[in-house]
Amino acid sequence: MKTAINPAITVGLALICLFLMGCGESRAPFAGTYQSVAPYAGKGHIKLVLKENGEGTWTLEGKSVKFKWRVSEGRIWLYTKEGGIIIVTPTQGGKILSADMTGEWHPGCPRDKCIDFQQVEARP
Amino acid sequence: MADPNERSAFVGAGLKLEQVGREITVPAGTCIVRQGEPPKHFYVVKSGKLRVFRQTSDGIRTDLTELGPGDYFGEVALVTGQPRTASVEAVQDSHLLQINKEEFDWVLDHNPQLARHIIQQLSHWLVTGDRRLEQEVIHQAKLRQISWFDYVLMLGLSIVIALVFNLYNDNRIPLVQGWGEKNEIPHISLSQALQAHQQKEAIFVDARKNGFYEQRHIQGALNLPVIYFDLMYPLFQFTLANLEGAKDKPLIAYGGTISRRFDLELARQLKDKGFEKVMTLGSDYLAWPQAFPLEEGKPRKPAHIPLGLAGFLEWLPVGIFLLILIPSIRRSPYLSVVCRVLLGIIFIQFALSKIMRPGVFALNVVDYGLMPAWGVNLWALVLPWAELITGLFLILGIRTRAAATLIGGMNIIFIVGLIHAFYLDLPINCGCVGEAGEPVTWWKVLKNVGMLLMAVQIFLYDRLFVLDRGGFIWRERKI
Repeated sequence: MKTAINPAITVGLALICLFLMGCGESRAPFAGTYQSVAPYAGKGHIKLVLKENGEGTWTLEGKSVKFKWRVSEGRIWLYTKEGGIIIVTPTQGGKILSADMTGEWHPGCPRDKCIDFQQVEARP
Repeated sequence: MADPNERSAFVGAGLKLEQVGREITVPAGTCIVRQGEPPKHFYVVKSGKLRVFRQTSDGIRTDLTELGPGDYFGEVALVTGQPRTASVEAVQDSHLLQINKEEFDWVLDHNPQLARHIIQQLSHWLVTGDRRLEQEVIHQAKLRQISWFDYVLMLGLSIVIALVFNLYNDNRIPLVQGWGEKNEIPHISLSQALQAHQQKEAIFVDARKNGFYEQRHIQGALNLPVIYFDLMYPLFQFTLANLEGAKDKPLIAYGGTISRRFDLELARQLKDKGFEKVMTLGSDYLAWPQAFPLEEGKPRKPAHIPLGLAGFLEWLPVGIFLLILIPSIRRSPYLSVVCRVLLGIIFIQFALSKIMRPGVFALNVVDYGLMPAWGVNLWALVLPWAELITGLFLILGIRTRAAATLIGGMNIIFIVGLIHAFYLDLPINCGCVGEAGEPVTWWKVLKNVGMLLMAVQIFLYDRLFVLDRGGFIWRERKI
């Protein structure tokens, strides 16, 4: 039996599925302003701002670096403009963020390569 | 079996039916004769409806015709003495005249008109059978056909869409990193650099990711991963400030892979920050591990982040791999359909994890150390789209053999890359499904081998639910 089907419908359905699969988790729970628990590099504290639109800034001594971020499986992924990834694990309901500076994810965030941030303001 | 157009021919042949046979009633769904069985009876349909079909050993059923009142069947096997060539089942409750072989022979002996009719009927079937066979061969040939156009279509689509998408993507990357930029960073030869190292006249800066640095680096070198340059530069400054006599010493950036993605870029960025004396290793930039005294350690390898559905799907090829080992299942076209859908979904997932951020995937490509500089970004741009398009083609049943070939080719490249990384113990992320948290393990190799076998299975046996040049082919085909 030869059956004529409309390939356009199939492709459309497939693309809708792909679109839905591509949607990430909500950034809202983690949007806010954070400050590093300890001073960084003998200088001041790092100010980390996570905006709900996926943009973010990392500010140290007045110098800001922009990055993008998203949430996946409860973790925050920061993307530098060079393509580097920093995986941040939130704890205490997002009040504390632990950034793994190795560029990979390691359980518990290795202490010598980990920067902890504390939330100072929710949703900037 | 009688052709529907020949209905009542048997009756019209002059045989008095009441002289032979016995009447039987068969309820709907009953199989009256089975393909392959030795023949015992000849049947004439008095009322009801029956279906004639053939079925292959791997379960493909082909409906041949339907029979109604006045039609007859079962004569071919009785005449030839061969097992039944097809099965006949009752579609409705049917009333039949069942005639055994002796009676059938007697009828033929005493009714030449009927014998001639049966001979004509068999001859007609032979001719039409030949025609059907020819059509089927042509159809199958078209189905199995692969032309260069299929590959050009898929690769061309991938390249065009990748380039156009990159133009409008917020995370766009240049087609070739550093292309057109003038390299004003001076080089230093390996021997001069070694001399400077021995006399502590230079500071060596490793531009690679932290995992590579921890695994092996030049003795006393600092680590400033270029991919985190802006974030880590304050720490680098702090370290330099606390390093005795560092202010006047030249900086030698090293750590270039075959793509030279890291060392040249780090040197450029340090120069932009105001360091006047910045150099990179010259043409023998890959030889530093052999030339310099090293500090070696056990790198922190990426830990495994649960990948959710994607991680689960990745295991299915291992299951299919086991199924393919079973000879009776190996050739099944239904297995091909399962393989196509699974492989399609897996490759679409591969693609979706990379398409939006080609810069991240490009760094994964660099980490494998197999791609020259000019190819890294092109590969990072085009591969995810090739995965997406071939995956879609497999699921939709379009050009499936060509799509399977391309997917198989990609799997071979992945397997070579993974074995290379495993052999060199590279502390890298696989870059297969996730952007991070995917260590390179032998399981990854096995999963890719499973996917390769699935592609081979599709290439060899796929023939159902495909949109080929002759239209869409469904499971059942009436001939």
